[in-house]
Amino acid sequence: MFNLPAKFIGTLAAAAMGASLAMSPASAADDTIKVGILHSLSGTMAISETTLKDTMLFLIDEQNKKGGVLGKKLEAVVVDPASDWPLFAEKARQLIEQDKVAAVFGCWTSSSRKSVLPVFEELNSMLFYPVQYEGEESSRNVFYTGAAPNQQAIPAVDYLAKEEGVERWVLAGTDYVYPQTTNKILKAYLNAKGVKDEDIMINYTPFGQSDWQTIVSDIKKFGSTGKKTAVVSTINGDANVPFYKELANQGIKAEDIPVVAFSVGEEELAGLDTKPLVGHLAAWNYFQSVDADANAEFIKEWHAYTKNDKRVTNDPMEATYIGFNMWVKAVEAAGTTDSNAVIDSIVGTSVPNLSGGYATMMPNHHITKPVLIGEVQDDGQFDIVYQTPGLVVGDEWSDYLPGSKDLISDWRKPMSCGNFNIVSGKCGGVTN
Amino acid sequence: MRLNRLLSVFILMLGFCCHIAQSNAQTVDDATLRPLVQALAGDNFENTTKAISDLVKTGDPRVSKILDALSAGDLYVAKADKTVFLGKRDGSDYAATDALTGAKLDPVPRSAAEKIKVNNRLRRDIAAAIGGLTLMSDNIAERRSAAEAILKTRDPESIPLLDQAIAVEKDAGVKALMQQAKAAAVLNSDAADDVKIAAITEVSAGNSRAALGLLTPLENVQGPVGEAAKAAIDSINTKLAFWNAIQNVVYGLSLGSVLLLAAIGLAITFGVMGVINMAHGEMVMIGAYTTFVVQQIIRTSAPGLFDYSLLIALPAAFLVSGGIGVVIERGIIRFLYGRPLETLLATWGISLVLQQAIRSWFGASNVQVGNPSWMAGSFDLGLLTLTWSRLWIIVFALSVFAILQLVLKKTMLGLRMRAVTQNRRMASSMGIRTPWVDALTFGLGSGIAGIAGVALSQIDNVSPNLGQGYIIDSFMVVVFGGVGNLWGTLVGAMSLGIANKFLEPFAGAVLGKIVVLVLIILFIQKRPRGLFALKGRAIEA
Amino acid sequence: MITQWFFTHVDRRGGIAIALLVAIALLVPLSNLLLPQTSPLHIPTYLVSLIGKYLTYALLAVALDLVWGFCGILSLGHGAFFALGGYAMGMYLMRQIGPRGVYADPVLPDFMVFLNWKELPWFWHGFDNFWFAALMVVLVPGALAFGFGWLAFRSRVTGVYLSIITQALTYALLLAFFRNDMGFGGNNGLTDFKDILGFNIQAGTTRSMLFAATALFLALAVFVSSFIIRSKLGKVLVGVRDAESRMRFLGYRVDRYKLFVWTISAMMAGIAGALYVPQVGIINPSEFEPANSIEAVIWVAVGGRGTIIGPIIGAVLVNFGKTYFTAAFPEIWLFALGALFIIVTLFLPKGILGLYGSWRTKLADRAARKKDSAPPPVAAENVHLPEPQAAE
Repeated sequence: MFNLPAKFIGTLAAAAMGASLAMSPASAADDTIKVGILHSLSGTMAISETTLKDTMLFLIDEQNKKGGVLGKKLEAVVVDPASDWPLFAEKARQLIEQDKVAAVFGCWTSSSRKSVLPVFEELNSMLFYPVQYEGEESSRNVFYTGAAPNQQAIPAVDYLAKEEGVERWVLAGTDYVYPQTTNKILKAYLNAKGVKDEDIMINYTPFGQSDWQTIVSDIKKFGSTGKKTAVVSTINGDANVPFYKELANQGIKAEDIPVVAFSVGEEELAGLDTKPLVGHLAAWNYFQSVDADANAEFIKEWHAYTKNDKRVTNDPMEATYIGFNMWVKAVEAAGTTDSNAVIDSIVGTSVPNLSGGYATMMPNHHITKPVLIGEVQDDGQFDIVYQTPGLVVGDEWSDYLPGSKDLISDWRKPMSCGNFNIVSGKCGGVTN
Repeated sequence: MRLNRLLSVFILMLGFCCHIAQSNAQTVDDATLRPLVQALAGDNFENTTKAISDLVKTGDPRVSKILDALSAGDLYVAKADKTVFLGKRDGSDYAATDALTGAKLDPVPRSAAEKIKVNNRLRRDIAAAIGGLTLMSDNIAERRSAAEAILKTRDPESIPLLDQAIAVEKDAGVKALMQQAKAAAVLNSDAADDVKIAAITEVSAGNSRAALGLLTPLENVQGPVGEAAKAAIDSINTKLAFWNAIQNVVYGLSLGSVLLLAAIGLAITFGVMGVINMAHGEMVMIGAYTTFVVQQIIRTSAPGLFDYSLLIALPAAFLVSGGIGVVIERGIIRFLYGRPLETLLATWGISLVLQQAIRSWFGASNVQVGNPSWMAGSFDLGLLTLTWSRLWIIVFALSVFAILQLVLKKTMLGLRMRAVTQNRRMASSMGIRTPWVDALTFGLGSGIAGIAGVALSQIDNVSPNLGQGYIIDSFMVVVFGGVGNLWGTLVGAMSLGIANKFLEPFAGAVLGKIVVLVLIILFIQKRPRGLFALKGRAIEA
Repeated sequence: MITQWFFTHVDRRGGIAIALLVAIALLVPLSNLLLPQTSPLHIPTYLVSLIGKYLTYALLAVALDLVWGFCGILSLGHGAFFALGGYAMGMYLMRQIGPRGVYADPVLPDFMVFLNWKELPWFWHGFDNFWFAALMVVLVPGALAFGFGWLAFRSRVTGVYLSIITQALTYALLLAFFRNDMGFGGNNGLTDFKDILGFNIQAGTTRSMLFAATALFLALAVFVSSFIIRSKLGKVLVGVRDAESRMRFLGYRVDRYKLFVWTISAMMAGIAGALYVPQVGIINPSEFEPANSIEAVIWVAVGGRGTIIGPIIGAVLVNFGKTYFTAAFPEIWLFALGALFIIVTLFLPKGILGLYGSWRTKLADRAARKKDSAPPPVAAENVHLPEPQAAE
């Protein structure tokens, strides 16, 4: 096989390079447009992201049935970044540089988005990010089709204060950036509304927390002072099931202390017996139970595609759906998949959402959304109890954080700036 | 907000009036009632709230049933003619009955009807309204929930009605509850000081935490009421501090039991056999998935057995995980004896394969494992709330430990296991078939991990990542307790659990966990072989 | 003169590896920068960064092998030192952003601005200076390793106990760095770097230079490891690995030897982390995951424990496999990776280099047998160093 170590290493290196060059699936013919899918299929985030990969494959399939885009078929390039953030950056680079994809749909956690962001900016490609996040970001190359905090958290708090008369707040979250930021925003918001600090309890738990006895009993104590209390939960995916199980078992009913969650949707509830949880809330921009023809159609086709009529749909799926359709529309308007042209043409693009309205891509690369509040039902679905009368524009720079209240983002020419400071009248940082 | 409260007070009040009216057996004819019922299908919650109060005003005995149905989400409105009916899901239709008369109607297709929306506040209002209607009910449970509803609203207006009800109440428990409710209402009213002080005594005798909530607003009141309230609060706080300590111990034991369950299988495969078994967590996960499969089969073929599903899952999980364990031992581990560090690599590979296998098979999402009824809910022990699932897990963990000790100490298999692990060659020359003992020991450890999975499926989410969440903690417990000693694992798990729970209130959950880890590191410096070190030459690595 | 000195401290394999690494350090950047994109020998920037990343992993593996392969200390927490070095470099890169952050704060990094920090925490001071940061890259992991090792080796914590507490160490650091209050950017970590030593971090030249630096540091690490192993110190270390008690009874202060090599290894891991961060563009707490440290152990095992270049081969091969499989078989690649680990442990107990070694021995046997039909010499296994054996 090998005679010398040197040769051995040499051959190995050559093989490695050769193979990785040939890694891309048989070089695509010019009659397809490639679309990258960058969702973890293994590791801790697979639990949430796998569904989005399926959604993308479904959407691409549907689009191809309609004749593709610009007369060419779409071709999905799926990679597995394995819930490993640096691997996300590597895979993004590979998708863009090697596979020459026209756009990438992917990421779930903010860490993964932060990790790929420099890659997309350097190589001037496009990323559609379909998950609610903490805001405080606006990149020319990223399109945020999930909710910013003002499209989820603030309307939820308003609802609780107004409709349920809540005066005392528990802000419980997993100790990472999204909950920290959201809770900072919420605390500033509640303080501005006259809620005193002693009526706000903030609690953080590690990732994957599974022992909730103490915290749930603390919440119970906090809520027993006579003032109406609610929990605003930014607890991350994995920890939710044990949290709700403990909540149910300790007998905290939604009528007494309602919990409103921002990361719990149909997919998460699928792992739970929801009978004891009826009435607890979630705030999203879409629920499977939305009563709209577009939604009924989407669910029907989704079930047909997955050959499983029990597969639920959820908010990030809708965000993926919107992002994909916006991209298709913008590409058709631009007549090319070239990033610069599509980035220019996509602002202002409106496509139907699944709740019977339209979503528009705003100049800050966030979209307009209705905010829905749903109560958990015993069948694992949500009953929508409130919907904002109009659409809410995603606010990338929160007005409730001192550092960002003066910033705006507008990617249209001539401003073309992600962090324009309205006080100094200057584009804050140098981005591209 | 204030409006809502006023409204619910109003509803409540009306309830009582109606109740009194009701004793005259007053009913309203259908023609008057029907438009009121129809009005429940308002397009916003305010209209529904108003409709509810209008309905309660009629005092008709049928009202409480209709409101119950509304609260449970069984009232629907047909999209076409806007009639309100009682519906039950039946395939793609609703089996419909008339909301008033209960007469059977034609089934309505699901797409042609809409559920009348209720939210938490409406449900609360309804409970309060029904509570007013049922304070004198014949049914003890209804009276109890009526009293509870008033305890929540603390409405001074209800004092005379409560007096009436207390006078005729026979059941001591319900009576006490009514008295509590009355005291709470008194504190909320502008009664004379001596009446209030009596109420403070009454209140502080009851549920301390609720009492604290009632008394805190009075603390700053000038005069004797404020002083009495302050004194009552102080004594309650002392009581609470005492119960807090107990709570930490009990919760710590409960966390310790979870750790013990997760670690005890590892104490055998790693502690006794010396295999650094990174696939241990996956054995736990497979146990949890076995529970899921068992429940799935029961749900589809024998729903009546659901309460026994865990009992059926236990042996199943033991066999499945144990069987996989034996296969792994025979197929891979047995080639690696004497190279313990390499077992780490191989079992890490096995763990990746098993995770992916489960993911490919069952999907990456959580699967739902239900609680049987005897595992659901909680009970109060003094001021401590303990959930049944946690209690059963403590009991279960200790039983598993005891049975394992019995197996190891009192059975032939246990004797052979100990012989082989202490001195393989000697045991072999005494005629013990060491390969089989190895396989069975590894199978036993894996099987126990499997039944731990059954228990953990009750409190944690069942996903392919389940095992990863426990593997590090399990190793910590075994090493902290002392490798090769089951008692060490028991003591280690319990002390880590309790330490965690005592640190959590001061340091927060995250910092608490870090402190525990640092303590383990420092502890190992003090006792390099864990809490219960084995003595003798066998331990020299 | 110099070559002679060089070859007294490095064996033939090591020498070849060093020569090869130096060659790669020169040729890869040249090919990337000078050759036209159409040339078949042109290496795209994508591959430069990718191989650069593999080489930082290889450096970590060499560091790990120094303690595990030659001193018998199995660390399941070497990722912690790697990550700490990475954070030190990340903090420097963060400070270099200066007023170009999104909030245009001249001092505070972005994540501090939006989480409402008023001033720079004390431990961030000094990191605007590259040389200070570079010092911290070795000093912080080194100091942690020294403190940890001083405690552990003096109290004679060995075997699995040591492995598990190293795991506890990295796990505790993982949880700590996850906390936003710590001031390291929480789970998002440090990212969005602009430049290093004044050069744009995304530019092709910078990437090539980083690559060259990585390859050279790896060559240096191979040299340092060889130097240690071939010195008297190295012999003592191997002695400690194979019979710790016996060495102690012979009068060696075993704990001091262990502490020395342990600290050196941690510093090497820190350097690896520091080179890793500018090439991947992010450092966050997931680098502290115990699973990452275990994976590093696996690279060493795959390549061949107790050899100096085995870990390099293992790290590059396993990571290349990961890159390849996650793209080619995204749904089932874990089966392939898992199977690889199982097969390597079962059939290649001494790693790939071991396979090569035993293959050569076999070849020699056959040649010997051909020469005269004497009974076959001792089995291949006996040629190798005995494995450290744990209790049975």
